Amino acid sequence: MLAVAIAEQLPVQQAREGNPEAWDALFRRYQLPLYVYVFELVHNEQTSLDLVQETFIAAVRHIGGLRDDEKFGGWLFGIAHQKTIQLWRKHGGKEILFDEIPEPPDEFENSPDDLLIRREQEAEFMNLLNQLPMPQRSVLLLHFVEDFSIEEIAHITETQIGTVKSRLHYAKRALRKLLEEKK
Amino acid sequence: MKTPREILFARHENVEPKLDAIRREIVGQASRLSPFEKEKSETGATPVLLLLWRELIFPCRRIWTGLAAVWILIFAVNFSQRDPAEMMARKSPAPSPEMILAFRQQEKLLAELIGSNEPRIAEPQKSFSPRPSSERRFETLMT
Repeated sequence: MLAVAIAEQLPVQQAREGNPEAWDALFRRYQLPLYVYVFELVHNEQTSLDLVQETFIAAVRHIGGLRDDEKFGGWLFGIAHQKTIQLWRKHGGKEILFDEIPEPPDEFENSPDDLLIRREQEAEFMNLLNQLPMPQRSVLLLHFVEDFSIEEIAHITETQIGTVKSRLHYAKRALRKLLEEKK
Repeated sequence: MKTPREILFARHENVEPKLDAIRREIVGQASRLSPFEKEKSETGATPVLLLLWRELIFPCRRIWTGLAAVWILIFAVNFSQRDPAEMMARKSPAPSPEMILAFRQQEKLLAELIGSNEPRIAEPQKSFSPRPSSERRFETLMT
């Protein structure tokens, strides 16, 4: 699973040229991470599948707008994020502002694998994740699922870097607190 | 012990066949959806227009739209400030030869009518050319 962090050679240029095999390889690589991200935000299987499908269609249509091939993953998650937020707002979701939260201290850890969860804690982990407000959950999922950097998460969610840091810091602290309590 | 990623992925493994079906469907349509393929099919017909559109117009479409809006505004202002009489004159058709003939006859008749009551034309004034006084005296002696 640590393979995510390793730089991948994705056939983005071939996909841009309309090669179906390249698209197949790209979608195969991202279909489950995208689904996990979207599902953990909307909690509905059919809606999540629809959002993944819409994301794939938008990716094929707008691949010309992607400047840096290495940022394909972040770009794809950005599309999925936008589509999820649009749906969320359509169903009356309210924007929760976290900008007033002070920035976390600099000893912020970057690796999602710092957090290890025992089998008996898995249910609690999922329960707590679902209790988090959507902006915090979104940031935490992007961190866990694809190990995106703070800058990439800020770009995907179209928020300030400081805001992403705050959200991630407080979400991880809440998770840690829970896991320590359960020990 | 598991990482959050492993936990999250394990929860959704069963949805993989559905995701595979979606992927296959989109990949099957990729050539139809891809803008690159569309461009390739259009390039054969109108390559210059396509090139102009892609290189000149599309990248600066906002600027072009702004320029077009400014020109439309200029035309609108110019059109609204035109003299209506001039426009009417321009709109009226050219007079027919019969009308021109009738007009000339009327003009001739009018000239004749005016001409009968016209006072005599006064004799033209003698032109005065100044000469030296010595010359005038010589003329008097000669007469």
